[in-house]
Formats: sequence, C-alpha cells, structure tokens
Amino acid sequence: MTHQAHSYHMVDPSPWPIFGAAAALLTTSGLTLWFHHNITFLLALGLLSMILVMIQWWRDIIRESTFQGHHTPTVQKGLRYGMILFITSEAFFFLGFFWAFFHSSLAPTPELGGQWPPTGINPLNPMEVPLLNTAILLASGVTITWAHHSITENNRKHATHALFLTILLGFYFTALQASEYHETSFSIADSVYGSTFFVATGFHGLHVIIGSSFLSVCFLRLINFHFTSNHHFGFEAAAWYWHFVDVIWLFLYMSIYWWGS
Amino acid sequence: ARLWRMLSFVVALPGVAVCMLNCYLKSKEEHERPEFVPYSHLRIRTKPFPWGDGNKTLFHNPHVNALPTGYED
Repeated sequence: MTHQAHSYHMVDPSPWPIFGAAAALLTTSGLTLWFHHNITFLLALGLLSMILVMIQWWRDIIRESTFQGHHTPTVQKGLRYGMILFITSEAFFFLGFFWAFFHSSLAPTPELGGQWPPTGINPLNPMEVPLLNTAILLASGVTITWAHHSITENNRKHATHALFLTILLGFYFTALQASEYHETSFSIADSVYGSTFFVATGFHGLHVIIGSSFLSVCFLRLINFHFTSNHHFGFEAAAWYWHFVDVIWLFLYMSIYWWGS
Repeated sequence: ARLWRMLSFVVALPGVAVCMLNCYLKSKEEHERPEFVPYSHLRIRTKPFPWGDGNKTLFHNPHVNALPTGYED
C-alpha cells in the first residue's frame, strides 16, 4: 500500500472552488441587475450559492483535519501564513476607506461649508454609544484571550464560558450599531461625510458579523471536542480575525468618531 | 488563564457596565430636532435607491431623518 513520503496535504478533487467562483459571478451580476433593473432573483441565487459553498467547503476542511488527520504541523504552518496574508489584505481594504475619509476631511471643500463636520451635520457624540462599543470590543478581546488560555490549559468549562461571553459581546456590539444606524440624524446620502461614515463603519460591521459567525462555529466545534490543547488552529484563526476587527474599530473610533467630530 | 479570567470580570466587564450606565444616563436628556435647511450637499439623490419608493435611505428614521423636501412628520 502506498503512502505519502512528505508532510503536506494533497487535497482530493473538490467542486467548491469552481462553484465558489460561479457564486461570486452570480452575486456580482445579481447586484448589477438589482441596482439597474430592480431584479432581485439573480442576487438571491448568488448569495444562496455563496453560503452553500462556504458551508460545504469549510465542512470538508473540518472533515480532512479533525476527522482524517491531514493537518500536520507543516500544513498548519501554511494555514497560518494564509490567514496572516488574508488579514493583511483586509487591512489594506480598510486603508482605502480611511484614505477616502482623510482626503475629504483634512481639506473640506467650500461645498461642505469649508468645515468638518460639514455644515448641517450633527455627528454622534463619541462619548456615548461609540465609547460603549469600544469598551465592548476591548472586553471581548480580553475574554477571547481567556478562552484561548483555557483551551491550552485543558479547562473545558472556562473555555466554553469565555468563548460564549466573547460571542455575546460581539452580538451586543452589532445590536448597538444597528440601533445607532437607525437613530443618527445623518444618512449615507448626506455629503461625503455620510458616505465615508457609513461605508467605513458599514464594512466594519459586516466584518464583526463575519467574525461573530466564525467564533460561533468555533464554539460549536469546542463543545463537540474538535480542539485539543495544542491543536486548535481554527480557534486561533478566529481569534486573530477578531483582534483585527477590534483594531479596525479603534482606528475608526479615533479618526471618524472622535477626531472627525 | 487565571490572569485573563480575572481581567475579564474585574476590568473588562465592569468597564462595559460603566459605559452602559453612562449611555443610559445621557439618553435621559431630551434632544431637539434641528431645523430643516435644504442644503444642496445633504440628502443627495443622484439616483433613486433600489428599494421602496427610491427616496428613503436603508435605515431611514422619519423622526430624525429629513427627506430632500423636509421632515415627513
């Protein structure tokens, strides 16, 4: 019987990459059709197929790693590089929106009244809900660290409690932001202030939702005994992503909410 | 893990609680709605929104958000 003479994982043929690409095509063209022709069908199909691909692809990775043992230290190292590179690319993504914000806010045009915030805009008080949101995300960073240490020390009860608290804080943040979005006196259509505010905080909020979902999957895996005290990369990747989301918020808070008011 | 557990319950969560209290107290004050001025750089409608009547933003709140023609209520 043959066996591999190396520590890498030669993945079995899988349909998910090409289906994922198809889902991306359906979603983007669906978005265009919705914007220009008020047709929602293609967009719905695109989003549905995207979710299905994600569930099945990641389910397969869990099968290959936790149940079949293909994730050697070498493979895990590659995954670490991958996650770091992905988060770096996300950092550049946000950098663009911060660039846009500073471009418009450092030299406000006469059309805006030559001031920032523009004339007629009543910004949110950074010392109210935005401060609470900062406290929430910072606290979740502490609780997720508690969870990680509990996993490495084999304390199942504490790991469960800590991860649960982290997810709860994440949901609380999202709920507060949604309520803020409903209560602000300005909208996305209110000059470049509204555009930069809602696009930057909106994408951040999306990343919080993604991070919360990632953590929730980790929670389910944790209670199903998928993690060991020295092999739990899925959790580590989620934790890195969560800290990244927290850092982005801190920059958003300091520049848009605080300096920008 | 002991250190982080302690930090969670003694620093992090009380910090959140204090901020919650702060927000609750601040929300008690009545805030007046600013008068409507039809500035051209606000309430921009270059293209209708792809939902509803195309005139309301996604998180439109009739009490605090004016339409280009003024407050609805």
